[in-house]
Amino acid sequence: MAAVTPSLRRSFLRLFAVQGSWNYDRMLGLGIGVAEEPLLRDLAARDGEAAYRAAVGRGAGFFNSHPYLAGLVVGATARAEHDHVAPERIERLRAALCGPLGSLGDRLVWAGWLPFLSALAVVGVALGAGWLAVVAFLVVYNVGHLWLRWWALRAGWEHGVRVAAALHAPGLQRAARLVAPAMAFAAGLAIPAGVAVLAGHVPAWSFVDLGGAAVAGFGVLWWRHSVFDGARLGLVAVLIALIVGAVVW
Amino acid sequence: MSIALCRVDDRLIHGQVVVGWGQPLHCGLIALVDDEVRRSEWEQDLYRMGVPSHIEVVFASVDEAVEQFAAWESDPRVAMMLMGDLDTARALCERCPSMRRLNIGGIHHRVGRTERLRYVYLSDGEVATLRAIAARGVTVTAQDVPTAPPVPLEDFT
Amino acid sequence: MSSPETLLVLLAWGTLVGVDLVTMPQVMVARPLVAGTVAGLVVGEPVTGLVAGVLFELFQFDVLPVGASRYPEYGPATVAAVAAAHGAVEPAGLALGALVGLATALVGGLSLGLVRRLNTVAVRAAASRLEGGDPHAIARVHGGGVARDAARALLVTAGGLLLAAAGRVSVLPVLETRTGALVAAVAAGVAVAAATSGTLRLVGRGRDLRWLVAGIVLGAGLLWLR
Repeated sequence: MAAVTPSLRRSFLRLFAVQGSWNYDRMLGLGIGVAEEPLLRDLAARDGEAAYRAAVGRGAGFFNSHPYLAGLVVGATARAEHDHVAPERIERLRAALCGPLGSLGDRLVWAGWLPFLSALAVVGVALGAGWLAVVAFLVVYNVGHLWLRWWALRAGWEHGVRVAAALHAPGLQRAARLVAPAMAFAAGLAIPAGVAVLAGHVPAWSFVDLGGAAVAGFGVLWWRHSVFDGARLGLVAVLIALIVGAVVW
Repeated sequence: MSIALCRVDDRLIHGQVVVGWGQPLHCGLIALVDDEVRRSEWEQDLYRMGVPSHIEVVFASVDEAVEQFAAWESDPRVAMMLMGDLDTARALCERCPSMRRLNIGGIHHRVGRTERLRYVYLSDGEVATLRAIAARGVTVTAQDVPTAPPVPLEDFT
Repeated sequence: MSSPETLLVLLAWGTLVGVDLVTMPQVMVARPLVAGTVAGLVVGEPVTGLVAGVLFELFQFDVLPVGASRYPEYGPATVAAVAAAHGAVEPAGLALGALVGLATALVGGLSLGLVRRLNTVAVRAAASRLEGGDPHAIARVHGGGVARDAARALLVTAGGLLLAAAGRVSVLPVLETRTGALVAAVAAGVAVAAATSGTLRLVGRGRDLRWLVAGIVLGAGLLWLR
């Protein structure tokens, strides 16, 4: 057990900027180090300045994960430093947390919770809810977001090197299982809903152009995505339409 | 089925692998080949946490992987094989002649390595290892996610 | 044309939206639907904001949300699109918004890569102090990254707003004919294609594909009934 439990509040706040210095060498590393540092301060008094600096330096090394789950590694490694776990073991723990935290967070949030709710917001707009749908999206999304960040930091600190146990939390596993089909269903609803919103703002005679662009665009984006992403294809298509309309017609 | 992707990535199982590749390939089996992870229960436990329940993860040492390679290739599910470093990849390429393609998905910054691509850092020794792999007739390309274009070996070494 | 006050508020909002995407606090005001709706309220045209928001929210679904891969940035782009579209008759507004927004999104994406490159340079310059665990050096390099991203978001939004102003003068008259309808329809069509292909890629061929198809069928059915 740690002799003292430092306040997690400062780390929690710093974690909101964990990706602030995203770079190719260390990815989130510096952000992790900055967020972990307040939890390591009492090491300076207990074990000396050199031990504190060594721990901070380890904390700021290469790391990559989902930003909302980064608190798990911050809490777990800070706790391990407090428990005098060997540096090699801490490095190994950090290395082993990168992938799983990234994968779990991407599945839970970037490919789950976020597109699920944003798709529902599009459906809400199509049903006439207007900006209320957008407010509801922001509120509900961030309830989940803030809970996940806080849970991650607390669970990391509580479990230390045994942080894998925290990831077995039944709620988390159930959420990961349910959010994928929910996202798929909501995204399915959002596609015709989005068509309805946009079609309401172009004249009926141009629906055939809309449909043609959708079919041709899908073909390009599905089979040639490494050449054309959505924005590139969109810009090229819009410019062609502009030239055709202005010059050829 | 066959092994749809043989990938070197020092983060092993992460979002690009599970969501980026796993979803479009409809992957059902991940073979994670790494001698150290094979010996470490707690690391295996962590890596399993990152994977949805419909994907089975098998942990193997290099020796075990050589034995099981044919079984993974004939598995009815779509399989992906992940390796954490190039020595593992070279050992497998030498001992599993049916492995014809190698994807470099991410090898990150470490002292002694220089940046070759945004997500590929290699020491001179590692470049030599990759060339040796390619000299065996294995097609080596770097590609982080399936929506990005693959980069041939000669363009990043 | 908007008042200078309105433009300043849009510039501030676009900057916040740009910083939110990666740097902080990631509360997802960076989502096009949020960015566009607020921009619409700022210019006094909520519907314009919602429509641009939906358009680029569909484009956003094309971005594979994993890791370091390159992607366009749709948040400040949506703000610029609303600035371009407001006050114009439909569908010319939507058409100009699409043009300005897509160009800004590509520039935004490139700028994200540039900031990451500059951050990498800063990290390498401070390498020895970072390795030594100097907490002040770590905080300084990290803070530099945050500042760079804020400057980036400001510049991208400013560029988008300039593009919007230029577009209103030079391109809008052309779009106020039936050309505008063609451009808007093509933009909407590609947006739908982007949302469909991106979602299909994310959902994969497993069990969840059935849920996606069920959603599309139910949504289309409800649409038809209405």
